[in-house]
Amino acid sequence: MSDIARRALIKGAGLSALAFSVGGTQVLLSPRQAHAQNIPFRTLNAEQVETLEALGETLVPGAKQAGIANFVDQQLSVPHGEALLEARILNVRPPYANFYRAALGAVDKASQAKNGDKKFAQLTGDERYAFVDLMRQNKIDGWQGPPGPFIYLLLRSDSVDVVYGTMEGYAALGIPYMPHIAPEKRW
Amino acid sequence: MATLEKVDVVIVGAGASGSLYASVLAKAGKKVVLIEAGPDWQMTDLISSDMWGRRVKPSGVPFLFEGKNPYGYAYQGGWGVGGAALHYFANFPRYLPTDFKVKSEHGKGLDWPINYADIAPFYDKVAAEIGVSGDAKSEEIWRPKGQAYPMPPMKTFRNGQVWLKGLEANGIRMVPAAVGMNSVDFKGRPACIYDGWCHVGCPIGALANPTITYLADARKAGAEVRALSTVTRILTDASGTKATGVEYYDAKKEKQVQEASVVILASWAAQNPRLLLNSATDKHPKGLANSSGLLGKYMMAHYASGTWAMFDEDVENHMGTVGAQFMSYERYDKNAKKAKGAFGSTYIVAGTALKTSDLGGFANARIDLFGPKLAEFMQRAKRGITRLTAFGEEMPNIENRIEQASEKDEFGMPLARFTHSFSDEAIALWNANFDEGIEIAKATGAKEFWSARGPMPTIHLFGGTIMGEAAGTSVTNSYGQTHDIANLWVAGPGLFPTEGASNPTYTIFAVSQRGAENLVSKWGSVAG
Ligand SMILES: Cc1cc2nc3c(=O)[nH]c(=O)nc-3n(C[C@H](O)[C@H](O)[C@H](O)COP(=O)(O)OP(=O)(O)OC[C@H]3O[C@@H](n4cnc5c(N)ncnc54)[C@H](O)[C@@H]3O)c2cc1C
Ligand code: SF4
Repeated sequence: MSDIARRALIKGAGLSALAFSVGGTQVLLSPRQAHAQNIPFRTLNAEQVETLEALGETLVPGAKQAGIANFVDQQLSVPHGEALLEARILNVRPPYANFYRAALGAVDKASQAKNGDKKFAQLTGDERYAFVDLMRQNKIDGWQGPPGPFIYLLLRSDSVDVVYGTMEGYAALGIPYMPHIAPEKRW
Repeated sequence: MATLEKVDVVIVGAGASGSLYASVLAKAGKKVVLIEAGPDWQMTDLISSDMWGRRVKPSGVPFLFEGKNPYGYAYQGGWGVGGAALHYFANFPRYLPTDFKVKSEHGKGLDWPINYADIAPFYDKVAAEIGVSGDAKSEEIWRPKGQAYPMPPMKTFRNGQVWLKGLEANGIRMVPAAVGMNSVDFKGRPACIYDGWCHVGCPIGALANPTITYLADARKAGAEVRALSTVTRILTDASGTKATGVEYYDAKKEKQVQEASVVILASWAAQNPRLLLNSATDKHPKGLANSSGLLGKYMMAHYASGTWAMFDEDVENHMGTVGAQFMSYERYDKNAKKAKGAFGSTYIVAGTALKTSDLGGFANARIDLFGPKLAEFMQRAKRGITRLTAFGEEMPNIENRIEQASEKDEFGMPLARFTHSFSDEAIALWNANFDEGIEIAKATGAKEFWSARGPMPTIHLFGGTIMGEAAGTSVTNSYGQTHDIANLWVAGPGLFPTEGASNPTYTIFAVSQRGAENLVSKWGSVAG
């Protein structure tokens, strides 16, 4: 059997794009498309989205445009048994929204305490970088909430997922993706 | 609640060991029902993506993790038909004779009640049944002779080959890795095409996951799988001498009772004791099969010392399988690193395909990097990076254990507290293996190399229902039959009194094959 024939044998991965709701109907989009189309958020509030996007972009350049916030938000809205988040495989207890809300809250709180009441998204690029560098090493005094190094690990992983883990991400990096069953929407 | 018509065998969990038991028993003419907590995955569900691949793993596991090295359950576990072996890496090294006799040979740990020779014929049988690729002859520098594997070794790539010089310089001989994958077409399943998606499930069937081997055979022979159904208790008769079936919640979350002549627990090393503890009665107040007091005790995990190396050349790291290309038992002597305060075997593998994301992805090769530095690293690593891995063994420790907690799950079943800490000797071996990895990398000529250090990982899982000679010192006999209740059996790595350093599943299959054949042979005296 040729490789192509083998791949062709396996079809029907109809569920592999994420379902977002637009004007009351469900559409399948990649998180990047959802971000570009300003798809409303389901689970996170505007402040949490802002923090998540700023943090994602600091961790992995390109994460904001790649739809980090839409990815996480959509994933938090599905039953936990269907979730694709790294949180799932790192023993985080569902509902995963609890972890994200606590984590984003902890980041903002620590940022405000350290930076004259400025939330993480209000920091300059350099300030954000310095904050994350301390957070990953658990070096921020008075930290409250999920441990900083664990937040770093998980949100870095989510950001890596949307930037480097997609077919688009592989193409941008210039390495072959070679799927047996390709996720839909190059996602 | 309905009580369903009695069957010959009910098996809890349709993963690696449950599927094998189902196949042997159904082929022997027994009416078999497998009750499986997760979905009935189809090959078309196995999407090639690290994100989509997480769907086939457990979510929200019913354990509370404690100890200095809390167990990484959700990554290591399975959920749905095939169990963790739906998405395992299919490295198939055997255990060596020394693994069965650690206590006799070293005065620590435990002995198995059987020897390598008792298991050896079953290794050969499993290989012939599901397909193993490798070069048995070359392994025989370390182990007794056996049959040749049914398939030649897999292809190798630069990401594996580049390590050989450094390994040789350190006196470490490497041989083709034995893997449960097809180097050539095998029994109607195609040869591997080396695209490295094994860890999210191989939908073409080049990798021997149980759904296309043992479970498919079992179904053909009439076994029934009830998916999305979670067992909560094993039921026993009033005298407490016989298991009568199991209680479970079906896909509609309705409570059912499945009666059976024989009950087999194959829900992995942590769930099996959790279920037995939750099945306590006045006749078995400490839980079923716990007259020894050892139920849930001696939980063990492997750990790995990884070494990353970056080369100027393109090491084709997108090519290969996620299993190993080369393997070695050269450091398997349990005292090999004694001078560094370590004890335990080391099993070394080289060569693997790499993806970008997820725990094993190369974005995690430098977990300290983020922002522009990570972006720059990804550019360099995409062609040049490769990893060497040394797995280490920990000794059984009675303090590493599963116990009932007070909090309950959605079915009202108590969660279990899972306590796990590595010993000083294991930590010393982990460190010594990092040191040796660096020596090896130095001798490869790589331009950069570093240890893949982070929190000490917990890999694979063993113990909790250990096998042994006597009822006072173990939970089951060498076949997996519990000492206390003749028609209640346990399957899987929970039976192992010590864990060796080799990946477990080839041995899980061999031990299960031996147990299942034994059950068939003495059916009349066992079945209740
Ligand atoms: C990423 C990864 C890579 C691996 N690579 C290798 C490798 O290269 N080589 C190797 O030898 N091993 C490897 N393993 C380990 C291997 O997969 C396991 O050792 C093996 O699957 C264990 O077999 P088991 O039958 O005990 O459990 P499983 O195969 O996990 O099956 C247990 C089943 O029981 C079900 N279950 C649990 N609780 C209940 C309940 N209450 N009611 C009903 N059903 C229940 C689960 O859903 C699951 O399907 C790997 C594992 C992982 C996760
Ligand atoms: S590398 Fe081979 S075994 Fe792994 S998924 Fe691809 S074809 Fe299957």
